[in-house]
Amino acid sequence: MSAHSHAQVATGDAVLSVRDLAVRFDSGRNVIHAVNGVSFDLEAGGALGLVGESGSGKSVTSLAILRLLPRPTARIAAGEIWFGGRDLIRLSDREMRRLRGKEISLVPQDPMSGLNPVLTIGEQVAETIQAHEDVRRGEARRRAAELLGAVGIPRPGDQLGRYPHQFSGGMRQRVMIAIALALRPALLIADEPTTALDVTVQAQVLELLHQLTVERGTAILLISHDLGIMARMTRQITVMYAGHVVESAPTVEIFARPSHPYTAGLLRSIPRIADVGQPLTPIAGSPPELDRLPRGCPFAPRCAWALEVCWREMPPLAPVEAALAAGAPQSGPGAHLLACHNPVAPGEVEAGKPLRPGFRPAPQPPEYGLVTEETA
Amino acid sequence: MTEASPSVTGPALLEVRDLRVHFPVTRGTVVRRRVGWVHAVDGVSLELATAETVGLVGESGSGKTTLGRAIVGLIPPTSGTVLFRGRPFDAKVGAQDRAERPHLQMVFQDPMASLDPKWRAGASIAEPLRVNHIGTRAERRERVRDLLEVVGLSPRHARRYPHELSGGQRQRVGLARALAVSPAVIVADEAVSALDVSIRAQIINLLQQLQRDLNLSYLFIAHDLAVVRHMSDRIAVMYLGQIVEQSGAADLYRDPRHPYTVSLLSAVPVPDPAVEARRKRIILPGDPPNPASPPPGCRFHTRCWLREQLGGPERCAVEEPAPQRVSAGHTAACHFIHEVQGRAA
Repeated sequence: MSAHSHAQVATGDAVLSVRDLAVRFDSGRNVIHAVNGVSFDLEAGGALGLVGESGSGKSVTSLAILRLLPRPTARIAAGEIWFGGRDLIRLSDREMRRLRGKEISLVPQDPMSGLNPVLTIGEQVAETIQAHEDVRRGEARRRAAELLGAVGIPRPGDQLGRYPHQFSGGMRQRVMIAIALALRPALLIADEPTTALDVTVQAQVLELLHQLTVERGTAILLISHDLGIMARMTRQITVMYAGHVVESAPTVEIFARPSHPYTAGLLRSIPRIADVGQPLTPIAGSPPELDRLPRGCPFAPRCAWALEVCWREMPPLAPVEAALAAGAPQSGPGAHLLACHNPVAPGEVEAGKPLRPGFRPAPQPPEYGLVTEETA
Repeated sequence: MTEASPSVTGPALLEVRDLRVHFPVTRGTVVRRRVGWVHAVDGVSLELATAETVGLVGESGSGKTTLGRAIVGLIPPTSGTVLFRGRPFDAKVGAQDRAERPHLQMVFQDPMASLDPKWRAGASIAEPLRVNHIGTRAERRERVRDLLEVVGLSPRHARRYPHELSGGQRQRVGLARALAVSPAVIVADEAVSALDVSIRAQIINLLQQLQRDLNLSYLFIAHDLAVVRHMSDRIAVMYLGQIVEQSGAADLYRDPRHPYTVSLLSAVPVPDPAVEARRKRIILPGDPPNPASPPPGCRFHTRCWLREQLGGPERCAVEEPAPQRVSAGHTAACHFIHEVQGRAA
C-alpha cells in the first residue's frame, strides 16, 4: 500500500479547503445564484460526499474547483479554493492545466463525454501520462495497459487498440477511472459516477473506486443525490441546498442525528427495504428559483420548523452545541456544522415536524420574495 | 394459468401469457438484411389483480420496458396473449382494441419527452379524451380541471407549457393525462426515477393515494429496488427477457431464491452507514450479456456466483431452468433453488 501523493498538504491535514465560494451565472437579464458562500474541508486521503438535489450547486462547486465552469456565462464571484498550498482561483489557466489530471482529476457522470470517440483507449490513457510526464510512447503504453488491468479490464494489452464505443458503459467508466488515477492525484472528484450504470455494474464500479482510492491514499470528493451510495462510500457529508451548505458532519452522524430540517426531510423521503409499510413523509413544495433568491433561509418556504427570523436572515454555518458537548471538534473532519435557526430535535426526525406544544411554523411575510440577495 | 404465474388472491384483471417480443437485427444500409433476432421479451407470464401493484425490476436489456410497452399495445408482441378481464387484448385486432386500450395507460420516465413541448398542459391532458371522442369541449375542460386537482396541481397549471413546469409538476401532468380516460391499469415505466429525492417521495405518495381512491392497478417498472419494494405487493425480477423470480414483495426480500435476485439485493446501497460497513456484497462479474445472443441453458450462468460455488455444474450451461415453486405465489427459475439459502451474506 503506497499512500504518497504529489501535492503538499495545505492547511492542517486538509487536501482541499473551500472557503465562502460563490458562483454566478449570467443568463441574459438574470443572474443565477448557483453557489452562495460554500465552505468545506476534505482531509488528505478522506472521502467527502456532497449531497443535494438538482440546482443545489453541488456540481457547479466541483466544476469551480477544477476551474471548468463554462465561460463567459459563469464566474467565481467570491471565495478561495485551497489545494496543496495554493488558491486555485488565483492560478493562471496554464498552471491550472498542469494541475488538472495530475493532482486533481475528474470521473464524470457520463464516461462517453469524457472520452474522445475517435481515439483508441490506449492512446487516451497514454496521452494523459505523456501530457504530464516525460516518458516515451512505448513506456506510456505499457503503463496504460497496467492501469487498465488495475481497474479490472480483462486482457488489457489487447484492449488498448479498441475505441470507446466498443466498450460497455461500465467498462468505459473503468477506463475513466484508469485515466483519472493514472498520475496518482491527491484528489479525485467523482460527479455521479455511477448514475448511468445498472445496479450490479454500479456495485462493481463503486467497489473499484473505493479500493483504489484507499490503496493510493487519494482523497475523493463524491457528488451524488443517492444517500445509499453516500453511506457506503464517504466518511464526511456536506449537504447543500440552493447553493448553500446547510449541514456538514461525519457520515455516521448525519444519518444518526440529522439536525437541519432539509437533511431530516431527505432521510425521510427515501424508501428503505428494511422498514416497509412506513409511508414516506416528503418535503412539501419544490426548490427555489436561483435567479430570485430571497433574503433569509432558502429552505424556509418548505420548512415545518420555520421561525420568523428564518424569513429574514440566512443563519451562519456553526458547530452544533450537542455535538460539541459530546466531544466533537469545532471545525475540521469530525465537526458537526449546521446552518439553521431552529434545528430538528432528535425525536422530531421521524415525525417530520416539530413536536413542541403550540408550535406553528412562522408564515411567509408579505414582503418575502421582493428582497433578493445582493448580486455579487 | 401457466406454471410461471403464481396464483393471486383476486381474479386477474390483467393476464399476460407466454408473451414474446422479438426484434429483427438488421445489417446494411441500402439492402437491409436480417441477421438475427433480439429476444427482448422471451416467454413472460404475469398476472395483475385489481388494486394490486406488481413491481418489475431488472437491468438495462432485461426487457422490462419492452414488456410494459407490449402490454399496453405500443409494441406488437411476436406471440403470446394479453388478457384484460379475461378477454384477449391484441394489438392486431382493431375495433375491440380501441375499446379496451383506454383501460391500460402508461406513464413514462421523462415527462419532458412524453409531453408535446408546444402544447399547454391542459391540451395534453385532454388529448386522450379527444382521441376517444369522450365528452364535449366544455366537459373535457371541466374534466381537465378535476384531474389537475386529483394530481395535486391547480387549474392555472392547465395553461402552462411543459418547460414552465418543474420536473415533479410535469410528472403530475403525465399522470393526469394517463388518468383522463379512467384506466384500470397504469404501466409506470421508471415514472419516478428521474425525479429528485424530495420530489420523488411526493409522487410515490400520490401514486399510492390514487391507487386507494381509484382502485388502480399498477405495473411498476423500475431499477431502484427500494422504491419497488415500497410500492409493490408482488415483484417480478427480469433477466435477459425472462422472469427469473416472482413472489410476494416481502418474501422476495426475505427469502430470495434466484442467485440473480440475491446479487441484485446485495448490490443496492443501503442508506445506513452502519449497515453498509458490515455488509457483505456479492459483486457480479462483467456486464449483462447482449440480449441478441443470450447464453445457452440458464441465461444467468455466465455471471452466476452460485454456480461457481457449486463447482460449475454442467446442467446450468445446457438446460434452461423452468420456474420452480418455492412456496405459494413464489417461483424461481433456477436448478438450485434450495442451494441458494445461507450461501449469500
